[in-house]
Amino acid sequence: MNKRTTISASDEIIFNLKVLAKGKEIVRRKLAATAAKLAVTAKKLAIIAEKKEGVRRKLAITAKEKEIVRRELVMTAEKLAATAEKLAATAKEKESVRRRKLAATAEKLAATAEKLAATAREKESVRRKLAVTAAKLAATAEEKENVRRKLAVIAGELAVTAREKETVRRKLVVTAEKLKGSYETLEKKVLERTKDLEMARAKEEAVLLSIGDGLIVTDEKGGIILINKTAEKLFGVKSKEVLGKLFSEVVILVDEKGVSIPPEKHPIRMALGAGATTVAGSIYYYSRKDKTKFPMAITATPVILGGKVIGTIKVFRDITYEREIDKAKTEFVSLASHQLRTPLSTVNWYAEMLLEGDVGELNEKQKKYLGEAYRSNQRMVELVNALLDVSSLELGTFMIEPEPTDIIKLAQSVIDEQKPQIDTKKIIFSFSSGKNISLMQADPKHLRIIVQNILSNAIKYTPPGGKIRLSISLMNKNNILLKIYDTGYGIPKNQQDKIFTKLFRADNVRDKNTDGTGLGLYIVKSIVENSGGKVWFKSGGGRNKCTTFYVELPFVEVKKSEKGRSIPGRKEDTK
Amino acid sequence: MANKLLNSKKRTILVLEDDRPLLEVINAKLEKSGFGVILARSVEQAFNANLDKNGLGAITARSIEQALDYLEKLERIDAIWLDHHLLGEEDGLDFVKKFKANGGRWSKTPVFVVSNAASPKTVKSYILSGVSKYYVKSDHRLDEIVEDIKSFLDHHEK
Repeated sequence: MNKRTTISASDEIIFNLKVLAKGKEIVRRKLAATAAKLAVTAKKLAIIAEKKEGVRRKLAITAKEKEIVRRELVMTAEKLAATAEKLAATAKEKESVRRRKLAATAEKLAATAEKLAATAREKESVRRKLAVTAAKLAATAEEKENVRRKLAVIAGELAVTAREKETVRRKLVVTAEKLKGSYETLEKKVLERTKDLEMARAKEEAVLLSIGDGLIVTDEKGGIILINKTAEKLFGVKSKEVLGKLFSEVVILVDEKGVSIPPEKHPIRMALGAGATTVAGSIYYYSRKDKTKFPMAITATPVILGGKVIGTIKVFRDITYEREIDKAKTEFVSLASHQLRTPLSTVNWYAEMLLEGDVGELNEKQKKYLGEAYRSNQRMVELVNALLDVSSLELGTFMIEPEPTDIIKLAQSVIDEQKPQIDTKKIIFSFSSGKNISLMQADPKHLRIIVQNILSNAIKYTPPGGKIRLSISLMNKNNILLKIYDTGYGIPKNQQDKIFTKLFRADNVRDKNTDGTGLGLYIVKSIVENSGGKVWFKSGGGRNKCTTFYVELPFVEVKKSEKGRSIPGRKEDTK
Repeated sequence: MANKLLNSKKRTILVLEDDRPLLEVINAKLEKSGFGVILARSVEQAFNANLDKNGLGAITARSIEQALDYLEKLERIDAIWLDHHLLGEEDGLDFVKKFKANGGRWSKTPVFVVSNAASPKTVKSYILSGVSKYYVKSDHRLDEIVEDIKSFLDHHEK
């Protein structure tokens, strides 16, 4: 094989080369055709290029426009982004708000839920209570039913009654008709009676108006509804002026010094208050318009109807005249007592001189007789003195003149005065006084009268050999107590309440002792009470029963600076 | 001698008292007690007192001035016993006032009021006008008063 491949390879190369050349020629022709075609295509391409350039230019313009648009778009996009951000923030906020709200709402709901739970519990308890109540109501209902049944029975009965009433009513109508007839008759009678009553009233009024004493009638408030002629004259007013006015406006009451008496102390007020008659003493004066005044006795009586005070009746009397008589009487007693003292002094002193033997010795019998006369005269002096004291007490001229007084010394001097009587009766006497009793403000004359009386009484009414104890002590800072104890006759129980009465003497002592005026204790009580103290006693009564008199007096201590002053009371002590 | 001594010691007392029986008994007691007594029943009389019997010379006077003039001439006056009620218009108090005001050298003479007028007001007036003591007649024995006056004078003349 290899030799054949080598001889054929050369011929093949020449042949290939000839084919190649022929191929090349075709390619060259094809290439030329292609080139021609390419040229046409190039020309076409140029035209296209030109067209493309136009398009490109147009595109460039469009691109620019697009760029602007793009930019705008970018801006818009930015804006949108910002907006989006804002929206996101807003959304966040909204979200948080929403959450908070939700939380709050949730809380509220929780609270509400709790309340509801509580309410539910309450409701439950109420329900239970209601259940109980319901049970009770059920019971009540049962009871009610019972009552209703009973009521039904009663209603039935009432129906019967109603029918009966109707019958009665019918009867009443008949009666009413009859009554009408009677009424007409009655009216006639009433008219007649009224006339009679008016006559009687007129008579009564005439009597009241013409009565000798002043008379004023007031309503319950004190408004004057009637004043009689005497009262008009007494108060210097006219009925017309004062009717309807208040009594207290019309009648001004004053005391002795002309100081007006407060309305609550008016007898009329007191009568209205007490619902009883008040008789006023002479402390009431009426002050006239011209400022002159006169003493009045006033009786005020409330008019009571059905337990209620509906008015008052006041009766007035000008007691100037009575007062004058009273004063004259007391002055007479005072003057008479004074006039009596002079002849008594004469008898006293002449008897004294005779008894003393100043004009020659008397025999025993003469001495005895004259002694009796002398002692009786002494009693008379005592009586006159007591009467003088009483009259001045009653006249109101018993002046209290306090001055620094040594009560112990004063009592001692009274004891000394009465020592002869004590000794004569062999009475065992003792006097004790508390420590530290300093000078006191008191009227020594009055104090002396008090001590004299209680001591002389004790001596007089204690049998010979008896005991008397006088003591003076301070009860407290403000009161001093005089105590006199005796083993005397005592004061009968049934007469103890009268012992301080004027001129009273107990039966048992009148028997034994004709001495004594019955004025001593009356005077003591008057003085003690006038000085703001009190006097009382304790007595077993009957025979040989002990008696103790107590005198309590205000103790007004004299300050040290006053002690240096003279004590005028002493001047009168003659012993 | 003794008599002379007694005379020199004899006190003179002027007594003014309207009641004659009382005046007599007072006079008797005072004389018995050793006083020289001048009696008068009125203020006027007091100043007109006849002092003859006491050897002190007669004094007559119509007016207060004159009376006081005579009182000036009195040798001695030791005490005055005075009642409140006297004859005439004037009473003891008038006398005291006049005497204290115009009594000259005797105006300091102690005055003893012896009276039954014992109203507190009267007593106070006397005490205030300067009298020495006040006695209620009926409350005292005569010798009591005389002794008291004597002891007062003894005490005050020392």
